Amino acid sequence: MKRFRLLKRGDESTLTFQLWEFTGSALVMLFVFILLVTYLFPLAYMVTTSLKGPQQLQDSKSPLTPAARVFYEYQGKQLPVYQVPTEQGLREWALVKGGRASSEFVDPRHPEAGLITWEGSWRALDYVYRPEVTFDNFEYIWGAAKIPQAAQNTLVVAFISGLGVLAASIAVAYGFSRFRIPGGKWLFYLLIATILIPDSITLVPTYFLYVRVLDWNGTQYPLIVPHLFGNAIFIFLLRQNFKSIPRDLDEAAMLDGAGPLRILVSIILPQSIPAVATVALLHFFYTWNELRVASLYLGIAPDLRTVSYSIQTIQSLSPSPAVLQAGALLAMAVPVLVLFLFQRFFMQDMVVTGTEK
Amino acid sequence: MAGTFWTNNRQTALAEPHPQAGMRRREGWIGLLFLSPWLLGFVLLKFLPILAALGFSFTDFHMLRPEQTRFIGLENYLRALTDIGVGGSLMGSLGYFLLTVPVQLLAALGLAALLSSERIFGKALLRPLFFMPSIIPAGAILFIWIGFVDERAGWLNRLVMEPLGMPPIPITFASAIVLFALWSIGPGFLIMYGAMQSIPKEIIEAARVDGAGPLLRFVSIVIPMISPAIFFSLVINLTSAFGGTVLLDRGYLFSRSLSPMEGYINYMMFNQFELGYAATLAWVMFVVTMSITIALFRSASRWVYFPEEHDDEEI
Repeated sequence: MKRFRLLKRGDESTLTFQLWEFTGSALVMLFVFILLVTYLFPLAYMVTTSLKGPQQLQDSKSPLTPAARVFYEYQGKQLPVYQVPTEQGLREWALVKGGRASSEFVDPRHPEAGLITWEGSWRALDYVYRPEVTFDNFEYIWGAAKIPQAAQNTLVVAFISGLGVLAASIAVAYGFSRFRIPGGKWLFYLLIATILIPDSITLVPTYFLYVRVLDWNGTQYPLIVPHLFGNAIFIFLLRQNFKSIPRDLDEAAMLDGAGPLRILVSIILPQSIPAVATVALLHFFYTWNELRVASLYLGIAPDLRTVSYSIQTIQSLSPSPAVLQAGALLAMAVPVLVLFLFQRFFMQDMVVTGTEK
Repeated sequence: MAGTFWTNNRQTALAEPHPQAGMRRREGWIGLLFLSPWLLGFVLLKFLPILAALGFSFTDFHMLRPEQTRFIGLENYLRALTDIGVGGSLMGSLGYFLLTVPVQLLAALGLAALLSSERIFGKALLRPLFFMPSIIPAGAILFIWIGFVDERAGWLNRLVMEPLGMPPIPITFASAIVLFALWSIGPGFLIMYGAMQSIPKEIIEAARVDGAGPLLRFVSIVIPMISPAIFFSLVINLTSAFGGTVLLDRGYLFSRSLSPMEGYINYMMFNQFELGYAATLAWVMFVVTMSITIALFRSASRWVYFPEEHDDEEI
């Protein structure tokens, strides 16, 4: 350790040092790789399960990967193929006639050799499987959950509520970050506290407001309107980001006679693109997966259902794990795609520390 | 420091022709105008509904016979005191919080520190990959967990325990909760990662020159510098235990909430239709949640480093 330090401080081009650096990096990368593979195991489970057919799900001896049992057609009959231990090793034979003490098999490779009698209980034998992938589960969900229609509904809700939540959250975050408001600190604490207000307490009164007073049951308004008032988490994230922008520029603009709105649009926002993009993406993920409000108010309007609600309705009718995982993958596909497309902006340069750059 | 610098600047700018008090008042009004969307939403969608729920909590409001609602005073609260379900689910929510929050915070912190390492390449790909499990829908997660830990056919048993010749690990509810928590660290991880990137390199370098090793640098520089991010993660983890606004919706139905207290309230609401009693329980939970929140905020001033809060105090 001591020698390493000496090398690091002094002669950095030494071969030993380079080797040490390389091994260190390789070990760290290997560790990250193992961690990633372990962490993403649920996704592997989802994908393999969603590609399995109904027979495999009931067969607990089947391999973990999508597979189907092998059958051999012999004299007009579909015969199951088993792994049969013989003196020459394991053989893959099709069962013609099973018996308690001995069974008759046929070798699919040499059917002309005729029946082979094998001593032993065929019930203890293992099946032969070959890899087989089915997309039936996806096709079923796609049709039954009316994905194209549902995706359109979700996009409409996400777009309108997204514009609203962005405009409102940006304005409020700007108010919190740049103005000396009497009691502003307490209002900010109140804002954080609202994040923690349990949904259950506001649920019944807001339900009555939307359904009895405003008659919004079966419409998309309850999914959109609450967002037009901003979202406390987004306000917090944006405020921290706005705070980290040096004020010299707004000071200069203010002296040049720019109003507060002008400063927001032409000075603050251009410097906060990653934060605004992050909030927009978070809101998109939220709306795409949101299930509670959608299931409360869109139950009577099947044509307006969002993707996650529509898929959830189908999943609750079908107990098959394969259909369930296929539905979950379909529901996830769009957010994951968006995440990878926009990952350059997502949570990049997000500053929650409040230290000024 | 930057704050004081700015304040000095600003006071010279304001000290010119205008009387400072009037300017301050005007600034306050403009600020409030910018806050108005949130203030309006707070009053309409949070404050008034909470008051309405308080009103409901003193009645025997039932979903199927709303016209027969009577004022019954504190009867619901007395019932809550003797209801075993209330104590059990409150303890369950607290236990959930105590079990998941340290796991989530440590996992997110460790992952953020690991991915901040200069030895790692491909970060652009690694970050979304580690974030991805956080958007798996809740319904799927439950079945993944069963498929994973099932004693006979689960992956954990067939791929790890069986080849190693070890007995299968039995299913426990706690393992489900810990796995759920580990697969939800995405936002916390990215927030801490972002915070770590924003630590000025000079500070770390200076500590290195002074002979501070990696562990000491992490504990005495990185953690204090990102403490607001840790606090924020704590807040968003708290919401998942008590059912507040979530940052990423996994798509829970009300009936499938992971938070036991919220689950119990939803059971009263959607299965028993006892809206009055559900409102009482919601108020109990509200008081508990807000007490924890206030305690957290009190503690925050001791361990969270908020450099900019100094200017607010000058008001």
